[in-house]
Amino acid sequence: MENGILARRRRELITGAVVLAALAVLPLPIADVYTRNLIIITLLFAGLAQAWNILGGYCGQISLGHALYFGAGAYVATLLFVNAGFPPLIGMFVGGAVGGLLALLVGWPCFRLSGHYYAIATVVVGEIGYLLFLNWDYVGGATGVYVPFKGDSWLALQFKTQKLPYHYVTLAFAAAAWFAAWLIEGSRWGFAWRAVRDDVVAARSLGVRVFASKMAAAAISGFFTGLGGAIFAQYVGYIDPESVLGGQFSILIALPAVLGGVGTLWGPVVGAAVLMPVSELSRSYLGGSGRGFDLMLYGALIVVVALARPQGLVSLLGRRRERARAA
Amino acid sequence: MNRRTLMLSAGALALSARAARAAEEVVIGLVYPLTGNGAQVGLDAKVAYELAADLINGAAPPIDTLMAKGGGLDRLGGAKVKLVFADSQNDPQKARAEAERLITQEKTVAIIGSYTSATAATISQVTERYEIPYISADNSSPSLTQRGLKWFFRPGPHDEMFTKAMFDFYKDIAAKTGRPVKSVSLFYENSIFGTDSAGVQRRMAQEAGIAVAADIKYVANSPSLSTEAQKLKSANGDVLMPSSYTSDAILIMRAMNEIGYRPKAVMAQAAGFQEPAFVSGAGALAEGVMSRSSFAPDAVKLRPAIPAVNAAYKARNNKDMNDNTSRQFTALMFLADAINRAGSIKNTALQAALKASDVPGASLIMPWKGIKFDENGQNTLSNPVIVQLGGGTWHTVWPFDLAATEAVWNVGT
Repeated sequence: MENGILARRRRELITGAVVLAALAVLPLPIADVYTRNLIIITLLFAGLAQAWNILGGYCGQISLGHALYFGAGAYVATLLFVNAGFPPLIGMFVGGAVGGLLALLVGWPCFRLSGHYYAIATVVVGEIGYLLFLNWDYVGGATGVYVPFKGDSWLALQFKTQKLPYHYVTLAFAAAAWFAAWLIEGSRWGFAWRAVRDDVVAARSLGVRVFASKMAAAAISGFFTGLGGAIFAQYVGYIDPESVLGGQFSILIALPAVLGGVGTLWGPVVGAAVLMPVSELSRSYLGGSGRGFDLMLYGALIVVVALARPQGLVSLLGRRRERARAA
Repeated sequence: MNRRTLMLSAGALALSARAARAAEEVVIGLVYPLTGNGAQVGLDAKVAYELAADLINGAAPPIDTLMAKGGGLDRLGGAKVKLVFADSQNDPQKARAEAERLITQEKTVAIIGSYTSATAATISQVTERYEIPYISADNSSPSLTQRGLKWFFRPGPHDEMFTKAMFDFYKDIAAKTGRPVKSVSLFYENSIFGTDSAGVQRRMAQEAGIAVAADIKYVANSPSLSTEAQKLKSANGDVLMPSSYTSDAILIMRAMNEIGYRPKAVMAQAAGFQEPAFVSGAGALAEGVMSRSSFAPDAVKLRPAIPAVNAAYKARNNKDMNDNTSRQFTALMFLADAINRAGSIKNTALQAALKASDVPGASLIMPWKGIKFDENGQNTLSNPVIVQLGGGTWHTVWPFDLAATEAVWNVGT
């Protein structure tokens, strides 16, 4: 039995390494800027959804306020760069740390609530963050912050028209979030968190420190979300409260994980790989008509998956494997 | 003719044929919110741009205004203008991706956009990096032209110019009637639009020596504004200066009416107050409300092309041209004129032509003095106007030389 688990984990790590290698060479034959952009956005959201999955999936704490950590990371790294000249390549880790810290601050009072009440509390906290930034002049208020372009630079994470550097940055980000989730799955923490998710009372009776488990999951989740926010800000070159702290972003972060499979290693990746291309391509090639076909398609896809595979898309893969084993 | 010259001339013919074919179409990209919030503005914009393109290309009956005589771009061999629309969903990240797609896949020579200033912020960064002109048709945040971009051009006014027009109007009307504005009440919603607007108004009131009797920020889309109406009543400034979207605009007029308060004058920062829904929703209460505008629909004496353009637009969209659609129409006509003057679709030639622009106001449908850019790409000649509601329609009342109607001015009476 023990060996079975170890073998499965080794197999997953190998699969991860193969996917990583494939993604590393994927953009090389693609010269088209638009397609490269699509891959970058997909990778970014794969990482963000994985970050959300660490708290929402493994630990079962549904957060609908992740835009707060995302926005905080974006703002911290950007303001450090714009106001103090601090390079975003390092600043993004500061942004991530602030995201993690905020997640702890939010968790400290809110984890005393359980179930739906925690989810509702995170919505409110996220909204407070949005309003705070909207009315805070030092951070640019509602006008937002422009990132001045100072020429191609890895330190500043700025590239005039090149896409490849961003591809590797977002790939590293998504891979790091995936690897963190892989480590968690096999660790003592991971088992404790899943116990908290499945049954709080039973977990506590087995000696799991429930509150500490939730806090640890929130910190890691917040860190990666903030990191993603910082990368996003450098990639887009402009941030305002609406676009990085808005409530819709919290949903966008959670959606790939939910669609792909909550609490699974590959769910967020598969979810992002399906959702982002559908959303981007349909907007670009159907959105220009102004009739909203793209959004209908996107909505229909979510409804179909929710009805047909409520466990997430990744369960399709698992089922085939089980069937193969049974045969 | 020997064989050699024959071959040479055949070659030259083939070359010129190719040049003509290359110039058959000039592709212009447009990034607007076509779905989601702001979609109505984007869809109206689409009609305005399509009308402008049809006028340029000769697919609509010609009108005597800039570039509207048909026949395409004559200095590019009669090349036609082709429009490609992209949906930004009013999201800065998506606007950026769409601008990049338009430039790299559709090979657009320029991009026009984009309604909200946040989307313009990211689109203009892309155009700057790809060295393609961005024509800001209707973005009004002053910060956009404070970034030192070299490929950013805004033919319309920005918010500070709009607010300055209000205070210039106060000065002029005081000189004319002898009844100056002594105090104003600021009333504004809490997002970028309202707070920025009020910030400039506060500063300009101070500079003009006008007291701020009330300074009221409220939460947009409030269910009730009766507390705010009470505050406005007790402050009783000479002019109420609201910056609100449609539902709040109707609500505050009703709330003030309920407590029996009618300000001497209302000077709105356009937005909700200029929507047709406000005029019908507030009914008689809206009479006499003033607003800034960049379009003077009744200035037909100075801009005789307005009725024909408006009629053509109305035939397609069943509504009159407004502040936004007139600026959008003008942006494309102006860009086509610049491409024509450049005589080429090469980016540097187009940039030079845009920078050298000196378009006379009389050739536009806008009341502007003309189009001439400063080093930041801001048109310095796009003077706004003040309009006033009378009998359910807007009349231009300032500048006085453009005015079709006398302003109704109750301050000091």
